[in-house]
Amino acid sequence: MSQAWVGPSQSEVGRARRAQLRIARLYFVTDDATPEESLPALIRDVVAGGVEMVQLRRKGVDVAELAELARGCRTICHDQGALFLIDDHVELAAAVGADGVHIGQTDLGPIEARAQLGADALIGLSTHSSEQVLRAANQPVDYLSAGPVHATPTKPGRPAVGFEHVTAAAMRSNLPVVAIGGLGRGTAAAAVSAGADIVAVVRALSQAPDPKTVAQDLKAELEAARSWVRLQVNGEERKCPPGASVLDFLERVGVAQDGIVIERNGEILRAVDLGKTELTSGDELELVHLVGGGKDDG
Amino acid sequence: MAEDKLRLGALELTSRLIHGTGKFPSSGVLAAAISGSGAEMITLAVRRLHLDGDHKSELEALDLAAYTVLPNTAGATTAAEAVRLARLARAAGLSNFIKIEVVGDPMTLLPDPIATLDATQELVADGFTVMPYCSDDVSLCLRLAAAGATAVMPGAAPIGSTMGVLNPFNIRAIIERCPVPTIVDAGLGSPGDATRVMEWGAAGVLVNTGIAYARDPAAMAAAFAAAVSAGRSAFLAGLAEHRPAGGYGASSPEEGVPAALVPAIR
Repeated sequence: MSQAWVGPSQSEVGRARRAQLRIARLYFVTDDATPEESLPALIRDVVAGGVEMVQLRRKGVDVAELAELARGCRTICHDQGALFLIDDHVELAAAVGADGVHIGQTDLGPIEARAQLGADALIGLSTHSSEQVLRAANQPVDYLSAGPVHATPTKPGRPAVGFEHVTAAAMRSNLPVVAIGGLGRGTAAAAVSAGADIVAVVRALSQAPDPKTVAQDLKAELEAARSWVRLQVNGEERKCPPGASVLDFLERVGVAQDGIVIERNGEILRAVDLGKTELTSGDELELVHLVGGGKDDG
Repeated sequence: MAEDKLRLGALELTSRLIHGTGKFPSSGVLAAAISGSGAEMITLAVRRLHLDGDHKSELEALDLAAYTVLPNTAGATTAAEAVRLARLARAAGLSNFIKIEVVGDPMTLLPDPIATLDATQELVADGFTVMPYCSDDVSLCLRLAAAGATAVMPGAAPIGSTMGVLNPFNIRAIIERCPVPTIVDAGLGSPGDATRVMEWGAAGVLVNTGIAYARDPAAMAAAFAAAVSAGRSAFLAGLAEHRPAGGYGASSPEEGVPAALVPAIR
């Protein structure tokens, strides 16, 4: 189970970035098809429309050429209170004062990226399978992306993993999950229902005739979507779909009900009530059973 | 001897050895030890379930239904925590018994007597059959008995120490003065320790580390069972009282010693 990475030497800067990440819903990832000169205005528009995170993604461009563009985009984002991340280029992220970096499975690994960027930087990691989600568990990562949900020209040749992978990531990790891949109006809410905390869009904004309005619409759609319930279970953060009962939760995490005692917010639940008790955000569950001894035994 | 039972509330036990279940190298070794000991009552602790990975239990080789389960509140450091753990333990549906354990000092693991008494009062009122693990203090044990404890469980020595009976006077005083059964818990390291307290009239003993950390736990469990039984028989038979040197006289007749040997002995 992935836990939110907390830097040992995180400063106020890191804390502020992570606080922003926790409440973010809409993430704009730039499109290679957008001409460089149009990017600043586009970013300004989408952030004004409600985008809280921007990722500068330019494939096949020289890093030195990117630096100036990155600095400009960072300034626009920071002036409007949005997080600014850079895809792949760890050194560039450090050099231009980005809030963090997004890395793929074949890029530099999270541990190396963390070593270069320090505790305050946000590090996002792409995942395409449950195995990759589980492998991220002990890595210094701040969020996971899950996708591509739909096949997309942004990632040619990569098979779509559907909403199933978004759900699997939400079940298997406590980190914020970013759904990505061909999402836009009409599908953003479905991604949230599937377990995404944040929805990333590319063409839905880059190719919109009025990006600000579309961003506003997307943000409204995300806010209206019923997001997953966040719980504390045995001291760990867990998520489950809205409307789930305690029994549903046990089934999802693969725990047999037999021999287990469940306390919800300090009250022991009777077995007959497990299926009737709906979980709500902020619930604290304790799942205990009888075990051998205990360190204090005679 | 058929009538010599350990009575704990409504329960009657033939074996006076209560078996701990912690720190055993494997589920199989634990099951073999319990089986070898003839124990009818075993302790269990309440712990969080591991949500990830396998849920294999060290108890899997045991048929819990064959034993009276004595859940403990190990891990509690306050009366409120002990009460909470006791209620969780009862909700598991195996037992109405509870062994209260409230550690007052993390270094020695010695119990907090005041919190133990508080928890005893609350859990007796809540209908539990309460057996508090406590300090080897006669006044405290009298208070616990007055509060409704079904038995008192004074520690012979710190938990897990296997140091044996550190204060024989206190343990004997509790056994003699307490109106409820005294079950000596914690610190009994060798079968001889168990025999000793049973000879004094202890109603039973609880052993865990002395068995679990033995080279052959199953054989040691059987040795403890024999030791408890020997001590109990000795108590029932009535020990010869200690007298000053020579008080009962020599065991062999003093008369009729062949005269020729007398000078050699003297």
